[in-house]
Amino acid sequence: MAPQNPSLAPAVNTVDPALIAQPAVQKLVDVCRAMSIWPMTFGLACCAIEMMAVGMARFDIARYGAEVFRPSPRQSDLMIVAGTVNKKMAPAVVRLYEQMPAPRYVMALGNCAISGGPFNIENQYNVIQGVDTLIPVDVYVPGCPPRPEALLEGLFAIQQKMTGRRWWQVPQGGQS
Amino acid sequence: MVFTWLQAAILLFFLGGILFAAGPLVGSLLLAPKAHGGAMGESYECGVPTHGNSWIKFGINYYFYALIFLAFEVDILYLFPVAAAYASPQGLATTFKLLVFLAVLAAAVVYFMRKGVFTWPRKIQVSPRP
Ligand code: SF4
Repeated sequence: MAPQNPSLAPAVNTVDPALIAQPAVQKLVDVCRAMSIWPMTFGLACCAIEMMAVGMARFDIARYGAEVFRPSPRQSDLMIVAGTVNKKMAPAVVRLYEQMPAPRYVMALGNCAISGGPFNIENQYNVIQGVDTLIPVDVYVPGCPPRPEALLEGLFAIQQKMTGRRWWQVPQGGQS
Repeated sequence: MVFTWLQAAILLFFLGGILFAAGPLVGSLLLAPKAHGGAMGESYECGVPTHGNSWIKFGINYYFYALIFLAFEVDILYLFPVAAAYASPQGLATTFKLLVFLAVLAAAVVYFMRKGVFTWPRKIQVSPRP
């Protein structure tokens, strides 16, 4: 997939381990991290509307500790790529990712961020065909746009990735 | 006992304050993995590359406005305690000290007036005008 973006360099992702890297300590800290994820205020297209809905009272991402949307990458640990990444925007996305402190997580929200979605067509000249060609993505949330519940489920998946267990009950009719 | 309880409490609060400020910094230093490279070292974080360097000449207009603000603001700020204290008579010496304080701040205002700042020009000339 890499040669499709000849002018764009993928993000630099060098991470040194923590000074106190004992699993016992890090496990505890990981739970703290998972319960207080700070996403970045960062929306690129229509999917961002769903992200806003998630922050509001009805879906209320605050119930899961992730309501503090930060306007600065230096303070956020989750980048929700909500929308279409085009070639003009891609360098900014990469820079923002590089400026996030470790441990950093990326959620590709919506088909556009996952694969180009509706813009994944022949001779596409403008839209990045999947943000994972530029930055490492942890969780893919499909949909066009995904329902707010799907975003919450993506958040749970990231929490599971951080701590190794699922924290919230599986909704009726769903499977984990 | 060497300390009174009040002094001990002040020291405790001082210590608590230091821990409150330094604790998270030290904690993240020890517990967090470190990402580096790429744009991590850039000073701006809006996603747009920094344009040019910071060693350029820039207009000092805002600096002037900041100074004017300071001149008036400090005036008002320090006159509140004076007003509070003047409820009881303070004597002539205090009045004189107050006038010295006011004179120094007034000098700043006069300086700005001479520079023509109060005509609110678009560009403030620092050198005297011809
Ligand atoms: S996936 Fe659909 S809803 Fe989301 S940004 Fe793309 S076109 Fe819009």
